[in-house]
This record gives sequence, C-alpha cells and structure tokens, in this order.
Amino acid sequence: MKRILAYLRSMRFGILLLVLIAACSVVGTVIPQEREVAWYAQTYSSFHGAILLLRFDRIFTSWYFILLLGLLGLNLTLCSILRVASVVRAAKSESERTAHLRDTVLLTPEGVAALRDKLLGMRCRVEKLGECEVFTKRSLGRYGTFLTHLAILLTLVFGALALYTPTVTDQRCMPGESIRMSDGTEIWVQDFRITDETGRLDYTSHIRITLPNGRRSEIAELKVNHPFRFGGCKLFQQSFGTAGSVTVTNLETGGSDVFLLDEMSYLTIDSRNAIVFEQLYPDFLRAPDGEVTLITRTEGAYPNPIYAFEILADGEYTPSLAVPGDSLEILGLRFTFNTPVDYPGLRIKQVPTLLNSLLIAAFCLMILGLFITFFCEPVAVKLDAEGYAVGGPKPERMRVELAALDEKYLREGEKET
Amino acid sequence: MKTLFFAAFAVYAVSVVLEFTGTAFKKEKLLRAAWIVFLAAFALHTIFFIARGVAARRLPLSNQFEFANGFAWGAALLSIVVCGRGRADWLKIAALPAVLLIMTYAALQPMEIRDLMPALRSAWFGVHIGSAVLAYAAFVIAGCIGVRYLVFSKREEPDNKALDQMDYLSYRLVSFGFLFLTVVILSGAIWAEQAWSSFWSWDPKEVWALITWIIYAVYLHLRLRGKHRGKKMALFLVVAVFLVFFTFAGVNTLMHGMHTYG
Repeated sequence: MKRILAYLRSMRFGILLLVLIAACSVVGTVIPQEREVAWYAQTYSSFHGAILLLRFDRIFTSWYFILLLGLLGLNLTLCSILRVASVVRAAKSESERTAHLRDTVLLTPEGVAALRDKLLGMRCRVEKLGECEVFTKRSLGRYGTFLTHLAILLTLVFGALALYTPTVTDQRCMPGESIRMSDGTEIWVQDFRITDETGRLDYTSHIRITLPNGRRSEIAELKVNHPFRFGGCKLFQQSFGTAGSVTVTNLETGGSDVFLLDEMSYLTIDSRNAIVFEQLYPDFLRAPDGEVTLITRTEGAYPNPIYAFEILADGEYTPSLAVPGDSLEILGLRFTFNTPVDYPGLRIKQVPTLLNSLLIAAFCLMILGLFITFFCEPVAVKLDAEGYAVGGPKPERMRVELAALDEKYLREGEKET
Repeated sequence: MKTLFFAAFAVYAVSVVLEFTGTAFKKEKLLRAAWIVFLAAFALHTIFFIARGVAARRLPLSNQFEFANGFAWGAALLSIVVCGRGRADWLKIAALPAVLLIMTYAALQPMEIRDLMPALRSAWFGVHIGSAVLAYAAFVIAGCIGVRYLVFSKREEPDNKALDQMDYLSYRLVSFGFLFLTVVILSGAIWAEQAWSSFWSWDPKEVWALITWIIYAVYLHLRLRGKHRGKKMALFLVVAVFLVFFTFAGVNTLMHGMHTYG
C-alpha cells in the first residue's frame, strides 16, 4: 500500500499522466470531435469502428480522459498539498541545514569580505550560527510550487464545474419581440444592428431581462465581448441572422399582416394556390442580358437582398425573384416584399456568479505561484572565513550569480562537496 | 510600409550572412559587424512594428502576418537581452537565423491591414496575444541554446562552464516562456468566457497551446529531478520548438477552429 501511495504521489507518475493527457489531446484535434456516426463511417471507412469503440470521437468526455484528469488531481493532492507541512518545516530549518554545508568555494579573505558586502547589498537576512553566518532571502519562494499545484487542482475542480454545470440555451429573437425561458425569465430585444455608424461590423442588441420574481433590468447594450448579467442570467451576443419580411394585404377588406420569413415558408391561399418562399439571398449580380446571379455569402449586413420564391398557381410552380419594394397580386391578395430584418442569436447562460469568480481566483493564484517559483527563488548562503556554500531548494541561480565573484577571488579552486 | 518590413528583413539576412561567414572563417571583425547589423535590423523592425500599430490604430498582432512579425520581433529582442546581459555570444549563430526564419514565414503571409473583427475587440487582446509573442519567442531562443549546447558538447574538450551556462540560461528562458504561456492560456480562457460564453471549448488552438504547456511542464519537472540535464534536455528543447511552430502556424493552416482569423 505504501509503495502504491508513493508511486501515486511521485513526479514520475505526474509526468506520465501529463504525457498521456497530451497524447489524448493530440488525438482529439486530429480526429474531428462530436460528429454524427455516419460521418466517421464515411471518412474513416474501415477504422470508424475502432474510433467509436475507443471513444476517439468524443475523447474529451471519454471515461479514460476524465480518469486521467482525476488521477492528475490525486497526484497533485498527494505530492504537493499533503506535503505542505514538510515544506514549512524545511523552510523553518533552512538556516541550520545551510550552516552544516561544507564550503564548496574557497575564497581569499578579500573575497569573503566582498561576498559579505554583496549579500548584505542584496538585503539578505543574516544569522550567526556557530563559526559561520547564514544569509537568507525570499523564503516565500519555497511555496511557489505548492501554490502552483494547488491552483492547478482548484482550476481542475472549478473548471469542471464551470464547464458542466451551467444551463446554456441558444435563442434567436426578432427585434421588438420577447423570449420566455422555462423558468419564467423573459428577455425582450428592443433592437439589433450589425454595423455601427461608421459601417464597421459591430453586432449590438439592446435588451431587457425580467426575472421570474418580476425584477426587471434597465435596457442594456449587448455586444460581442460585452455580455450582460442580471440575476443568475448571463446573456451573450452569440450569432445573428437576417429574415425576410413580407406584408400581405387583403385587397377586398384592406386588412394586412406582416410575416417574417427565416426559412422556407408556404403562404397558402387555397389548396392549389400559394407562395413558397425559398430563400433570401444577401446579394446578386444582374448581367446586361437580364440574367441574375445570386450570391450566397457576404460579411455582415445584406447589401443587396433579393427574395427567391415560387408561385404555385393551379398546381403549377413558377420560380420568381423580388427585391425589397416589389409587390405582386394573386387572387385578391397583395404581397409586398419589405427590407429584411436583422436579428440577434442570443446565448443565455444560467450560472452562479461565485463559480466564475472562484475559477478566476484560481487562475490568479496559478500566475502568482509560477511567478514565485521562477522569479523569487529562495537564497541561502553559508559564509565563513574560508569560503562559502549555497544551500536552499534551488541553489543554481545563486551559484551563477556568484560565479563572477569566484573568478576574481578564488583561493584554491572549486571544491566539490 | 511594406518597404520598411522588407528593409528589416534584408538587413536581418545580411547579419545572418555576416555571422555565418565570420564563424566559418573565424573573423572577429565580421562577427562584430554581424551583431551591429542585427541591431540595425532590429531598430528598423521596431520602427515597422510601431508604424504598423499606428496605421492600424491597434496592437498589430491580429492575423498570421502580424503575429509572425511580432514573434520575430520578440525573438530578436530576447536574443539581444540574452546575448547582452547573459554574455552569451555563442547564441548569435543560432538565434540570428531563427529570427530570419520567422521573418521569412511572416513575409509569405498576406500583409494588408484589416479591421479587427468584433470578437477580437477586447481589453484581453493585448494581454493574450502579447504574452503569446513573448512565450513563443522565449521557447525559440531556448531551442537555439539547445542547438548550441548539442554542438558545443560534441567538441573533444567541451567547456563545462559554458555548457552549464547554456543549460541554466535555457532553463531561465523556459521558465519565462512557461509563465507567459500560462498567462496566454488563462487570459484566453477568461476572454473566451466573455466572447463565446465558455472558458474552454477544446478548440484546436486551445488544445495545442495546452499540449505545448504540458510539454514544457514536463521539461521543468524533469530538470527539477536533477538527473535530467545537459544533452538530453537540450535535445528536448530543440524538439519542443517544432511543437511551438506547429501550435503557432500548423494549427491555423491544417485545422479549422474558432481561432481561424486569417
């Protein structure tokens, strides 16, 4: 049992886990994730069975990947968190242990004096222990790796919670309309625009949230990178779309209604007569002979929209095109094509505020831990009349810093302990 | 504007030629000239970098060209710092061609200045991408030191002090790069939550940044064990640079994801 525990907390095991996680991650980027089974069958033909069996199609949610992350958490807990007491003890006895080191560099008396001045100039703490003095500094540096490992552990825990606990819903909402969530939260979209005043792409909605308890937010601006939070609800400007709009007027009664056409729509007049709206195209080109080429893709707002539809008259389909402002009359109804309407695609995320804050705190702790690890390396130097020795958990930096001094004042050459 | 970039590119190329010639024929004067020319190239490069930022009215790091240009600039800056402060003249023969190589990649990318897309208009843009420039540059220079280590250690009587200095400098550079790569990943996660609503989406660029982070974490841990130093670790750093290049250029070229900005 002891041997198993020792292995589970070892750096060797930690490195093995990191390498395995990296290997799984490579597979997860080489094989496209979360596609339909048919796609894998078509793309990988004979291998698709193995891909599905090994869960390579959903590797980041596979049991073994989650197990690897769990084992990494265990390794971090055992190797670092549970070792904190011994790290504190080691930090406390640092001076005594350094004082017992044998001199590794022998200096001339001038060299000893110069080193003493240098260490005092570095604002080291001095302790007189027997025949020698011990200079220490940045003892906080001992806790760098502990803080980093703790932060990684917290990131794993809070990150998993932040990824898998929120309720996320994607909704599109036409300007002037509301959407109601299952818990009773209502989101009203006042307006939406794709470009700003200068014509630059800038997807912006103005929205208002009403919570189930009746609490209502002010009208807020929602943009990419600027989510809006109210209550436990966080709204993101996620996507956008453009819907066609047609006004149907009854020529007899004068009554009219506006229909939004976001996908293929049938406006049936009777069983044999109808208008079938196929698609709204963002742009088109008209050749000198009148032939129209429809353009399917454009960035941002539709510069030159055109409606493609078919008229069903007595069972016969006739393809037609119309631009905003055009109208046509069929069996006493007038269809007027309006300027298309842009609408936002909203992402509604319900997540406790505290969770995000905790995760961000873990991130900050990780940066702090790494900074302390790499840039606040503890200093522990024993100095006596003969020479000096560098102690502490990371003596390398100090040895390099003192190397220039060695060259000048070295007495008998460097002596290995 | 392009002229300034290509002028810097040409001057970098001249410095590399001088460095190789000086090294091949052991001409100290040529080596000194190579370094002066390199500094001149860096000055031109800095002027271009600033001018591009002024023209674009933003930090010029938004597409492949701008990032590669920033990456080369960061690598040149770190080379100057390491060679100057670390008294590491032996690094020049490896670092100068590395800078030129990154500049060559930049020169092959479309150079037009484009407006930032809405997803990139964020306060996190500078932190996230600026840190990536520094992290990648540090890893590349550490890789260059790895190359020099391998070459030096093959000599009949290698200078152990110089080898120790190389080993330590490369470790310091990896530490620096690792800290900044962590900033890249974490600031990216916070930004992703604001822009895309999720801290992590397993997007190829995210995953490869994580893989790079893991590989350098393995390096730091192996080195901490004490047994792994010298040649093995130098070779590790050289191989890891290819991973950095893949994360930087390969992912954008071969894989499609949310970081595909052009």
